[in-house]
Amino acid sequence: MSPVITPPPVPRAVPPLVVDPGTIRTFAADLLAASAQVDDLGSFVAGAARIGDWEGVASTAYHQAIRPTGRRADAMSLALRHVARRADEHADALQRLVERRWSLVDERSHLIGAIEALRDRATAAPAALAADLQTACDDCALRVRRFEADLDTWVTDVIAAEEAMREAFARALDLDQVEQRYAGVEDPADAALSAAPGSGATPAEVNAWWGSLTRAQRRAVIATAPGSIGNRDGIPPGARDAANTVALGRDLAEWGYLEERGLLTADEERWLENARSARDAQHAIEQGIDPVDLVPVRSQLYLYDPTAFDGDGAVAVCAGDLATADNVAVVVPGFGSDGASAGYQGERVLTLHESSRTLDSSQSNASMVWIGYDAPDNTPWDGGWDGAGVLDEDLATRGGERLADTIDGLRASRDGEPAHLTVIGHSYGSTTLGHGAHDHGVPADDLVFVGSPGVGGATDHATDLGVDPGHVWAGANSRDPVANLGNHGSWHLESALDGAGLGDDPVEDDFGAHRFRAESTTRADNDGIEAFGDHSKYFDHDTESLYNISQVVNGRYGAVRPAGHVTDPWYTDPQDPEWGRRPGSPDTDGRP
Amino acid sequence: MQVVPLSVGRAARSWDEQHLDVAAAAGQIGAAPVHGFPDAVAGAAARFVATWQRHAAALAARAEATADGLRVTLADHLRTDEAVGQDQLVLRGFLHEIR
Repeated sequence: MSPVITPPPVPRAVPPLVVDPGTIRTFAADLLAASAQVDDLGSFVAGAARIGDWEGVASTAYHQAIRPTGRRADAMSLALRHVARRADEHADALQRLVERRWSLVDERSHLIGAIEALRDRATAAPAALAADLQTACDDCALRVRRFEADLDTWVTDVIAAEEAMREAFARALDLDQVEQRYAGVEDPADAALSAAPGSGATPAEVNAWWGSLTRAQRRAVIATAPGSIGNRDGIPPGARDAANTVALGRDLAEWGYLEERGLLTADEERWLENARSARDAQHAIEQGIDPVDLVPVRSQLYLYDPTAFDGDGAVAVCAGDLATADNVAVVVPGFGSDGASAGYQGERVLTLHESSRTLDSSQSNASMVWIGYDAPDNTPWDGGWDGAGVLDEDLATRGGERLADTIDGLRASRDGEPAHLTVIGHSYGSTTLGHGAHDHGVPADDLVFVGSPGVGGATDHATDLGVDPGHVWAGANSRDPVANLGNHGSWHLESALDGAGLGDDPVEDDFGAHRFRAESTTRADNDGIEAFGDHSKYFDHDTESLYNISQVVNGRYGAVRPAGHVTDPWYTDPQDPEWGRRPGSPDTDGRP
Repeated sequence: MQVVPLSVGRAARSWDEQHLDVAAAAGQIGAAPVHGFPDAVAGAAARFVATWQRHAAALAARAEATADGLRVTLADHLRTDEAVGQDQLVLRGFLHEIR
């Protein structure tokens, strides 16, 4: 007769939890952006709506009549902001609950496996082993009880989180209650903004001011005055992203509303296009999956001004977290880059991010495209050649100053260990980078020039760029006609075109930069018009250039594959040893 | 003397802009996605969104009404001013200087 053994009980199933924290955060962002609009009305009533030079009975009646509107707007803004914050917290709580649920599901699966094994053993166990088997069953039953206690706690926490969110919604439903609760309540943003440093403050001073604010004040400033901090150097990247996301949401809603009614002006049409492109860039990045962690890539909107540069727009969007990444890369694009191109640039910077992560999974990365200067608008393959803009360094000179300020601000906004920071100038962006580094100093660890038409007239050698020349890198596809615009040897475009031209070619031997391989397996057979396509392949996956740029970004200098420099013998045209080399296709994304 | 300055007209235009901005915010609230919440919360979220879209739309309507009110004030003033001017013209034919 088989011994009687009491098996452990089967643990209860873990209930499903169907939620999407990301969508809840979008919900919160929409409320926050709307609260900013409503807050504007409150500020308007308190300020610009007052008509100082209007006197008399009608004036008195008007000023009395608008006061309740302002009070209501202020209260509504605070209430919306409060609910938005609760929704954000709810999303965080649910995220944690989802992760706990997975652990519980895992634990239950293990327990069921153990119980089945014990039952199998019990069926055939001789009497001599019954005591040991019962002990094992009792141990397992204890684990089941602990599991069920954890499960009960989890269920309680889910119910509590849901209840808290429902309560937050319910308490803000009735407007009279909202006004009772919030009317006359001081906005935490007011005191914070009145203490903000003036326009001449250094990034370090701005950072110190931000650091002095309470959490509530920071949240309030982000919600009510996103424009005051979104593009301000010295503000931490996470706060800039939050503020710019509020501003973007508000702009999309406002201009989208006007567009539906046919009320958009020509300027607003361009601004709306820039705003949509910024949103596309965010989405393009967030569609990416981190090749190491296998989670969606985080985006940060570091710069957002859709009206900048006469409506060309300014945008900087990042894949990864600028505040914490070990390696930060800033890409400065060139010809044809404006706010409306941000969507495409977002896709490009995602490839750099994926590649950097794939090639070194031990470090964290943040890869940002910076369209923060007024780049020449037109390219030969996109509406003609903007000769005035391209063959002139004015835009690069002004852009270089902005770039230097931006990198200063990025440095100042980080606490603790500084990032390994690489600035990559592509096309005319390399001229801008050259000017920034030469004229103002760019506090970067490495400078990379790709597809460069010249690094600026004042820079004759890598040693002129303010960094150790051992950290100046250059790549050029031998077919790329834009990369062939730089000065070679003693022949200078400035001389030929009476001052025009963009400076020296950084891949030439006498410039003193490390040249890396940057050929493409799909390069043109000759230097005809189709070769212009080679100017846009430097950030494509599985190209030599992206591989080598990523190695520099990760500080793995020994892995960079060098290329021979261009030479310019006196007796003939410049000679590029890369012309005849068969291009490789190193893996940059871990995909076949 | 009570006058209605040009700034009344400018203020009316600013109120129009506020109306459009807040109406856009109302649309944004109405479009905020609620499907990410758990089932137990989604209903409350949907109700909140619908209610607040109406609240914001009402606020936008108040801004629009204020703009309209200022325009009415301005028009009243202009009509009154014009009527007084006409009266003066008519009256002028009956007036003679007496020394």
